[in-house]
Amino acid sequence: MSEKKYWQSFGELNNSEAYQQSAKDEFAEELPVEANDKGFLESATPRRDFLKYLGFSTAAAALAASCETPVKKAIPFVNKPEDIVPGVSNYYATTYVQDGDVVSILAKVRDGRPIKIEGNELSPVTGGGTSARVQASVLDLYDTARLRFPTIGVGADAKEVTFEAIDKAVGEALLAKSLNVVILTDSITSPSTKAILGEISAKYNTVKHVVYNAVSYSGILLANEATFGKKVIPSYRFDNAKVIVSLSADFLGTWLSPIEFAKQYAKGKKINEKKPEMSKHIHFESVASLTGSNADERYLHRPSEAGAVALGLLNAINGQTVSVSDPKLKNQITKTAKILADHKGEALVVSGSNDVNVQIIVNAINEALQSNGKTIDWSTTYNTRQGIDADFAKLVDDMNAGNVGALLIYGANPAYTWFDADKFKTGLKKVAVTVSFNPKNDETTQLCKYVIPDHHYLESWGDAEVKTGHFSFLQPTIAPLFKTRQWQDSLLKWSGSTSDYVTYLKTYWGNKVGGENGWNKVLQDGVINPSATSFSSATFNSSAIAAATAAIGSAKKGGKFELVLYEKISVGVNGASNPWLQELPDPVTRATWDNYVIVSPALAKDLLKIDLTNNGQADAYEVQPPKKVVKVTVNGKSVSLPALIIPGTEANTIGIAIGYGRTKEIGKSAEDTGKNVFGFSSLNAGTINFSVADVTVELTDDLYKVALTQTHGQYNTAQGNRTEIMKELTLADFKKEPNGILEDRDKELAPYGGLKDFEKNGTIYPYYDKPGIHWGMSVDLNSCTGCAACVVACHAENNVSVVGKPEVLRFHDMHWLRIDRYYTGDLENPKVVFQPMMCQHCDNAPCENVCPVAATNHSSEGLNQMTYNRCIGTRYCANNCPYKVRRFNWADYTGADSFPDNQVGIVNDVVLNMNDDLTRMVLNPDVTVRSRGVIEKCSFCVQRLQEGKLKAKKESRPLLDSDIKTACQQSCPTDAIVFGNANNQHSAITIARTENALRTFYSLEQLHVLPNVNYLAKVRNLDSEEKDEWLKDDKKEDKKAEPAEKK
Amino acid sequence: MHLKYESQLREPLVYGTKTYHDVTEDIVRPIEAKPSKLWYIGFYIAVALLLFGIYSIYRDVTYGIGQWNLNKTIGWGWDITNFVWWVGIGHAGTLISAILLLFRQGWRTGVNRAAEAMTIFAVMCAGQFPIWHMGRVWMAFFVLPYANTRGPLWVNFNSPLLWDVFAISTYFTVSLLFWYSGLLPDLATVRDRAKTKLRKHLYGVASFGWTGSTKHWQRHESLSLVLAGLSTPLVLSVHTIVSFDFATSVVPGWHTTIFPPYFVAGAIFSGFAMVQSLMVIIRKVFGMEDYITMGHIEAMNKVIVLTGSIVGVAYLTELFMGWYSQNKYEGYTFWYSRANLFSPYGWSYWGMMACNVLSPQIFWFRKMRRNLFVTFFMSVIVNIGMWFERFVIIVTSLYRDYLPSAWSVYYSPSIWEIGFYLGTFGLFFTCFFLFAKYFPVIAIAEIKYVLKTTGESYKGKMGHLEHVPAEVFAHSGHGHTIVENDGAN
Repeated sequence: MSEKKYWQSFGELNNSEAYQQSAKDEFAEELPVEANDKGFLESATPRRDFLKYLGFSTAAAALAASCETPVKKAIPFVNKPEDIVPGVSNYYATTYVQDGDVVSILAKVRDGRPIKIEGNELSPVTGGGTSARVQASVLDLYDTARLRFPTIGVGADAKEVTFEAIDKAVGEALLAKSLNVVILTDSITSPSTKAILGEISAKYNTVKHVVYNAVSYSGILLANEATFGKKVIPSYRFDNAKVIVSLSADFLGTWLSPIEFAKQYAKGKKINEKKPEMSKHIHFESVASLTGSNADERYLHRPSEAGAVALGLLNAINGQTVSVSDPKLKNQITKTAKILADHKGEALVVSGSNDVNVQIIVNAINEALQSNGKTIDWSTTYNTRQGIDADFAKLVDDMNAGNVGALLIYGANPAYTWFDADKFKTGLKKVAVTVSFNPKNDETTQLCKYVIPDHHYLESWGDAEVKTGHFSFLQPTIAPLFKTRQWQDSLLKWSGSTSDYVTYLKTYWGNKVGGENGWNKVLQDGVINPSATSFSSATFNSSAIAAATAAIGSAKKGGKFELVLYEKISVGVNGASNPWLQELPDPVTRATWDNYVIVSPALAKDLLKIDLTNNGQADAYEVQPPKKVVKVTVNGKSVSLPALIIPGTEANTIGIAIGYGRTKEIGKSAEDTGKNVFGFSSLNAGTINFSVADVTVELTDDLYKVALTQTHGQYNTAQGNRTEIMKELTLADFKKEPNGILEDRDKELAPYGGLKDFEKNGTIYPYYDKPGIHWGMSVDLNSCTGCAACVVACHAENNVSVVGKPEVLRFHDMHWLRIDRYYTGDLENPKVVFQPMMCQHCDNAPCENVCPVAATNHSSEGLNQMTYNRCIGTRYCANNCPYKVRRFNWADYTGADSFPDNQVGIVNDVVLNMNDDLTRMVLNPDVTVRSRGVIEKCSFCVQRLQEGKLKAKKESRPLLDSDIKTACQQSCPTDAIVFGNANNQHSAITIARTENALRTFYSLEQLHVLPNVNYLAKVRNLDSEEKDEWLKDDKKEDKKAEPAEKK
Repeated sequence: MHLKYESQLREPLVYGTKTYHDVTEDIVRPIEAKPSKLWYIGFYIAVALLLFGIYSIYRDVTYGIGQWNLNKTIGWGWDITNFVWWVGIGHAGTLISAILLLFRQGWRTGVNRAAEAMTIFAVMCAGQFPIWHMGRVWMAFFVLPYANTRGPLWVNFNSPLLWDVFAISTYFTVSLLFWYSGLLPDLATVRDRAKTKLRKHLYGVASFGWTGSTKHWQRHESLSLVLAGLSTPLVLSVHTIVSFDFATSVVPGWHTTIFPPYFVAGAIFSGFAMVQSLMVIIRKVFGMEDYITMGHIEAMNKVIVLTGSIVGVAYLTELFMGWYSQNKYEGYTFWYSRANLFSPYGWSYWGMMACNVLSPQIFWFRKMRRNLFVTFFMSVIVNIGMWFERFVIIVTSLYRDYLPSAWSVYYSPSIWEIGFYLGTFGLFFTCFFLFAKYFPVIAIAEIKYVLKTTGESYKGKMGHLEHVPAEVFAHSGHGHTIVENDGAN
């Protein structure tokens, strides 16, 4: 290299003195250190710099010594799978098939893991609606208690085997001694599976298929056979009915097809303000149910009178005398019959009874009302409930007689659900070859020799025909997590077929859907709908009525106390192992994690010595979680359970939920929760009867803690009726005074300047414009049925912690969205209103100004935001929230804390299990998992808002309503929740608010917190006379309260 | 020294024939002697409580606030109740030292030192609660407005909790300075009497080189006045700001404009009660009946009956407004959650009423005011009552607020909540025992200050002046001389 010298300045070139000086001093400006001759490093620490050095060294020491947070590494794909983009969700259309229920859904898959269920809007059956159970089902996929491999052997002898080994063993066993093979299943809705069943029947000559539904609809099936000649359940069309009368059918909660019915029902409940009309719903029942709570009128009767009520209705409609002894009930029946008779052709009567005779009478009523072909459609019939109890009873007998050689069980669990489970178990022992395909080691599977666990539905292929012509398809959304196999594969293997189920399925549908492209389209849509909507009636054969009438007439009278076994909307029959469902507060009782005895206030006074009209006793009952335990005895079998007082229950009837008291093998959540009461049901004239006409109920000395999430159920207090919280009125009033609610609001706001310009006048602070996006939500209390699908959807979407029973007992539940239940009127049979309550995203939020560190603040889009990593957990915001929607992380529920080993002994096994690596796969990566010590709350699904905004931005177009749906809104089967940008004049939320201006109200509006969530008032289809009856007791209470106030 | 003539009708503030030396001896003796057995027992109990408190806090920090029985509706319970309670107690000291100094109330000298120490320890105890009640206490420094790199994210000056941070820390600092500057001459006295080197050294450092020169006294006097001037508004502001925690919220039962005066009165009430509890014991244990006289006790009992009645009026006003406002939410809180004895927490309201309003009325009787047993018993009762008051305000307001759907299950504290509270007692008494052992519990210099004007022997010598007719006294021109001469005798 040459000796070339590069220079930057003349000084450097000339090597001037000034340059030499500047090269020596690195810093151009004078350093702020005390001057001495020794240079920078040797300079003394001057007094003025003392604080600087102190600060630096303290900070450095603190940093060096600070505790280390464990580092978890995320490893990217080496080869990116084609359809996985990190951070982008894929949606696959598939179908929820569990316990006979079939719901078309979309599975949201993030990074290869299904994490959320959304409704499939292409399905005309559910129309995009879901239920709590459907929403929660994604968690079952990651259930640690799932069976992970096939086994041979019973109980402790069970040994893991390969599929080949078990196929060989079962194949040989089935073939060896030409056995009588029985395939016991839940309702099979899959056409391809039916075809496979046909094939296997061809291979082994004595194959019998028995369908068993734990909650049976045999009564309807048999009644329809008797009166219409078809053993099917027709489609009910609640949307076509102006008058709906339900005889204990919980059609909004659990009966037959609740999502579909809720959607139809809500259509009749949505009000057009210009022409306010709505359907009328009258409900007869014995124990308070979700549907009964929604009814315009609820009438109570004893369960043993169910037949008499139906018969009374029929007679009254036909103009004959009603032979019901109770004059009040007789009056109610006559009144109902009159309303029904006035609406012939637009009325519908359904009954939840499983008694053939009652259902025959109900058919006769519907016939008399000309419902056939109007509100009942015989062209499409349900496939979801096919079981005939007598068939199963016969199977049990056959098993005990030793006539069954092999029993293949899929989706049925009679060792738990059959009323005489012991008999089934004894019979099972006599069966040589027992095979279970159940995904968990449930009560029946434990007794089976061969166990080949089925896939979870999210891992499965399949098809389902929920109703005639309505097909829905399953496709796997994740590779099987365990060594499980679809049961159809097993059947195909054993029938000697070489094809696997996927191929079989494709072949089965290939020509029907038009080849590969058609099949892809079908999988993409998830559904095939019937091309034309035909509506047909069926010919009624009245010959069975006489016998049914006679049978009802001779039915045995009820004893002192009667019992109703009911299904919970959360746990149902098979949901006990799902922590989301266990922690979901029952909409009617608001209890979690247990079953209990529901008693009426009247019975509570007699039996429990708790008088709810006495404030002291009512308070004590409400604020103390330990509840009195009662012992219920039926035919020598007794069960002791805590008693909850639930208004809206017939005075001498008690109710207990089925689905509890499970084996601990199916999961930590099921352990020690509730008791099994299937044993109280009975087989009565070929159908299972879920009510007992004579039970003994005794009070014991024990107490048992019930984890309630709401203790008080009335917004009317002795010091005044808190109507600012909730607005409800009758249709008659609404027609008479359409501006009633506006006037009420104006009156409530009068001290602050009235309704007009309340936002500006109600404060001394200046008013600011809110340009750009302003998020708003509207909840229609008239269409909300309280079904709680949104609560679970919120749980799943926002990684809301499960806290377990001990924590719920301490009022530590974490639900971001809850459904408040309020009673008004008569204590024994009140009117009920449900109010979904989530963060109201107040524009003048009281939580925001009290946070000392500004961890909760307002976004320019009107969101009340929570900054978790800024929160120091003073809980002041929660105290100052009038809606009490803020939730604090009392313990390390998520395992996200930087303190190790601080969960065991503090949270229970259920919560620990939720933090298992497997269970954590359900977490939504878009939502922070909150650590201990911070407050959290509803964010209006801000991650969805961001996603929607980005989508619109990328496509360079304004934001549309369809871009964003909050999780609660998406899950809602009745479209009660509307969400969007309230600053957009054409958005759904603006339209909802302007079109329903007369019913719009904001809860606790008078506080001037300016919520961004509004409610639409609940309107009951009552006339003025009925209203007086409803509010009669409220007035009485008010009068009683006054002197108390003056004292 | 200011010249002061005091009527013979006034009780002497120091009994007995005491010289300056006697005063020093009496007050410094406990510091120089080995502590009694009783002291050791008390100290160990206090340390044990403190350790239990530390363990309780360890549980709370490691496992979460869920170690306490608070819940989604009741976000504050014993924690903030205890906080406000201790802050309230911490009011008497500064009131006695500052406001009474400004009002030239001579009787303060007997009790101010211990009362100020009590204030400081009480505020230390109070401070524990807002710190450890945080869910993430390791992030507590977020409440300090320090320079950082987080851009606009700073403390929220709208939040009363932040005001608390400033109010309490200011109050603590000023009280500490006031207390310590008052201690300087006395520490110097102890230093001068010290017999060991270590003692001399330590007290020497602690007394900041006090020599008792006129200049020192002059500066000391000015500083005392300045600090008294600073503390006086603080006495009123601290509890006013604490009351803002509640008053500025929307919770029915909290959102009340009466809170600031009501809280200040309550604080003085409880503070004096606590001073009484401590003084009655100290004067007995250290044999200081001559310095903390029945006159002192009576004076403080008068303050108690006054402030107790103010608080009572406030309770009744609230109750009246609960009805008069016709606000159903307020009405429910005051008339159902509180005034209704049969509601779940009715007992706490009536406990408060009985302890704070009814029982102090006994002090209208002079005999009761001067009865040590009654005084001690009442001082404890008042502090129990004041604890109930804070509990009533916090819990009965929160547990049933706006939405009946959110009304809470019954809240009672967990063992760790109680442990935390006991721990602050441990802290308080550990500090107080150490204080009583190592510091003069009575301000020596200030007692000497009043000795010549209001001491019993001095007053006795003045007795004959009472018989001198005013005219004669005034015109003799020797009034001053008479006094001086007599004093020199």
